[in-house]
Amino acid sequence: VLRHLIHGLRVLLRPGAADRDLDDELRHFVEEAAAAHAARGVAPAEARRRAIAEVGSPVRAREAVRDGGWERWVSSGLADLRLAVRLLTRTPIFTAIVIAVVALGSGAVTTVFSAMNAILLRPIPGVEAQGSLVAVSPSRRDGSIGEQISYPRYAHLRDQGRSLDGVAAWGRVAMTIAGDGAASTVLGNLVSANYFDVLGVQPAAGRFFAASEAQPPGAPVVVVSEAYWRDALGGDPRAIGRTMSVNGHPFTLIGVAPLAFRGVYTGLVVDAWAPLSAQPQLRPRSSLAGGTWLWSFGRLRAGVDREAAAGELSALTQAHRQALGEPSEPDAFDRMQVAPLTGLPGGTRGALAFMSVLLGAAALVLIIAGINVAAMLSARYAARARDLAVRTAMGAGRLRLIRHLLTEVALLFVLGALGGFAVASAATAGLERLPLPGSISVTLELSPDLRVLGVAVAVSLVAGLIFGLGPALQGARRDITDRLKAESAGGGTRRSRLGRVLITGQVALSLVLLVAAGLFARAVDRGARVDPGFDMDGVATAVFEPESWGYDDTRTTAFYQALRDRLAAEPGVRAVGYANRVPLMFGSSVDAIEINDARRDAHYVAVDAGYFDALRLPIRRGRAVVDGDRQGAPRVAVVNETLARLLEPAGDAVGRTFRFRDAAVTVVGIARDARYASLDETTPPLFYVPLAQERQPRRALFVKTAAPAGVATAIAAAVRAIDPRLPPTRVAALRDETRLALFPQRAAAIVTGGLGATGLLLAMLGLYGTVSADATARRREIGVRLALGADRGAILRGVVSRGLWIAGPGVAVGLLLAAAAMPLLEPWLFGVDPRDGLTYAAIGALLVMQTLVASYVPARRAAALDPVRVLRAE
Amino acid sequence: MSETAASTDVIQGTLDMLILKALSLEPMHGFGIARRIEQTSKGVFKVNPGSLLVAFQRLERDGLVDASWQQTESGRRAKVYSLTRAGRRRLDEETAQWTRRATAVARLLKAEG
Repeated sequence: VLRHLIHGLRVLLRPGAADRDLDDELRHFVEEAAAAHAARGVAPAEARRRAIAEVGSPVRAREAVRDGGWERWVSSGLADLRLAVRLLTRTPIFTAIVIAVVALGSGAVTTVFSAMNAILLRPIPGVEAQGSLVAVSPSRRDGSIGEQISYPRYAHLRDQGRSLDGVAAWGRVAMTIAGDGAASTVLGNLVSANYFDVLGVQPAAGRFFAASEAQPPGAPVVVVSEAYWRDALGGDPRAIGRTMSVNGHPFTLIGVAPLAFRGVYTGLVVDAWAPLSAQPQLRPRSSLAGGTWLWSFGRLRAGVDREAAAGELSALTQAHRQALGEPSEPDAFDRMQVAPLTGLPGGTRGALAFMSVLLGAAALVLIIAGINVAAMLSARYAARARDLAVRTAMGAGRLRLIRHLLTEVALLFVLGALGGFAVASAATAGLERLPLPGSISVTLELSPDLRVLGVAVAVSLVAGLIFGLGPALQGARRDITDRLKAESAGGGTRRSRLGRVLITGQVALSLVLLVAAGLFARAVDRGARVDPGFDMDGVATAVFEPESWGYDDTRTTAFYQALRDRLAAEPGVRAVGYANRVPLMFGSSVDAIEINDARRDAHYVAVDAGYFDALRLPIRRGRAVVDGDRQGAPRVAVVNETLARLLEPAGDAVGRTFRFRDAAVTVVGIARDARYASLDETTPPLFYVPLAQERQPRRALFVKTAAPAGVATAIAAAVRAIDPRLPPTRVAALRDETRLALFPQRAAAIVTGGLGATGLLLAMLGLYGTVSADATARRREIGVRLALGADRGAILRGVVSRGLWIAGPGVAVGLLLAAAAMPLLEPWLFGVDPRDGLTYAAIGALLVMQTLVASYVPARRAAALDPVRVLRAE
Repeated sequence: MSETAASTDVIQGTLDMLILKALSLEPMHGFGIARRIEQTSKGVFKVNPGSLLVAFQRLERDGLVDASWQQTESGRRAKVYSLTRAGRRRLDEETAQWTRRATAVARLLKAEG
């Protein structure tokens, strides 16, 4: 094979040399043959003549030899390509339009795939050989998965496990770093010493952690991201080795992580890393001795599959639990799940489903574009019928002709794909700028990469084959007379009938897209009007991380107390409250409670006395949390109505107790059911515990005010007044903060809306083209009718109604298709009916309107025809 | 010419074998091979130079023959082909197979007659 390749390449690269060799050989052949004849006594001239006759035409011999090698295919392919380029440049407008249409369709697919690639498929930036990296998560017998494990468990797996080449662990920590300048709080990670090794990340400057530095007592060392190094440290190489204050403790900066690497979870941007041994300083309320706060991942040993690794780690987990005497309850996390490390916490399934729906929508646009191109190609080949017929007549094989036409199609679609790539680059840049709600430190890097380019070209080529094959086959039809007949006798109706069906299909598909966009828009609207059960108006919120300031419990309590008192004294402030989390941000705390010895999971929030006032969360019965519910006081809880109903069968919920974390908790009040983690959840059983009875340094502040404009400044000023060293406070309106809850719908509405508009544009261009071609073909008939005194209005109506006849069935089919397909979107619709009549009617009407507009122009042109000129032209 | 009248085209698929056989004695140029096939077959087979050259290219690419340009005694440039080890092996295989088939066919024809 290699020899074939080399020989062929030699021929391709130096075509002249190969031919010369062949000629030499043939000449030699002739000479030898002549010599042989001469030897038998034939006269030299005659001998030569005979020899030449025997050898035959050198041209044919040369052709035969050339056809014998594979390189023939390449060179004829190149010839096809050259011809295609020549013909396409001869019709630049046609070429440009086809490429633009393909670019739109391919761009739609490429954009969505690019986002999908970035979110789901692209390796974690900066990480090496991600294929063998696995997330190690605790799981239950029923397969449900937890996220984090404790340090002792991690250490056990790390020391005993054989199936992984290294197990690393990390936990989140807020780090308030102050070098020379002002302090700022960043997201940090506490990591095991092998964290960077397992990931295969190399330092951009300095070094990473040594094994000894991660072993308690460890060393106060820190690594920062390149972005932080540049922004906060001026990119100064001498900064390495410098001592900085991290959460109030002196730490030495030892290295800088490479620019691309921002932690394991794409989007959750990490700016600093410290060894786990720094936990006592940086996260003093956690402990390496217990508490599940570590995420874990590892690299599979070569030849070990995930299942085997999960088996081994599960066995180790069970042994470890037994050794520690942990009870083996049915709902214990007593096994380990080993899944690909995807860069998305909690795996990719939900996002994958969502993106697949969008990808499907984009594929519809590509189909619509393909149909347009097929129509245009068909027209082009019809126009070139004579040329093609001549080529057939001169002996060009049908296959050869199809190959030539498909080469042209392929060229158009590849160029279109490149255009689509450009479209996608622009569109993803736009999507990246789509403001992400709230304070989450997420950056999305959606831009297409080489894989996307490859997929774009491949998808385009397949589309080109699908939509180009029909016209090419038609163009290469062998029967010349047939074709000529078809050209003259109006037999072209077959083609235009097909064209009309295709346009109808386009209208149907773009209607489906627009209905999807409409439904998502309704969902956004519905979501924005969902009553969360509390009042967000005039509520400002900010989150504090006193642990990252180096505050101990006493100082933390004092800080929150002082802040509350200062803010309560501000003019316009109605209420000030705290909770351990901001509602509607998809986060939740779940734990088991026992009601009459029956265990069940319930959600809980830790709140202070002001929380219910600040959010206007009504107490139905009993009382709210009060200041007296402090450490040492009886443990109490306020339950929501859903949990109250679970308690009620045995009498009024107020006054009853349930067990939570091995303590009896008395229900003192019932609060109205409210949305908690997200807007579309089914309300879970939930209870509020007093913040003062939890050791919870991280708190969200809620300030209800009549003067929302000045509240941000007031809060920041109050914080500064309490401790001027603290990093700046970020204050946001609760309503803005919780926009995240609607982000998927908003994004989907924008994306499907854009796709639908593109599809509609293409469909209407197609419709316009067909209707005007139809009107042009009927010029004679129209001219005659006008000459006979037909009403111009009737002509106009006639052409427009042709357009309606084409689009109308498309609208009907599209509505049916949408009714069949839209239930797929149900999970993201906030209860908007996927067959919502209003949306369907509105979109249907929109398409009919568009059809009228698209057919009106050719109709008016037809109605304005001058019958005399038309008939004379014939 | 009497030879020409009696000659036929080479049996489909045997040209390669015949070329290899011709080369098994000594390296030869193209015309030499054609003449050898004609002579040895006593003029039964006549080789078309076109198909011969195609066959040379194929055999060369398959690594069964080597080719090199040499000066002949008459001072002309000639492409001389020689058998490679793989070519010799292939010749043995094909010869064995051909003999087996030919015997079988001959036997069948005899039985029929």
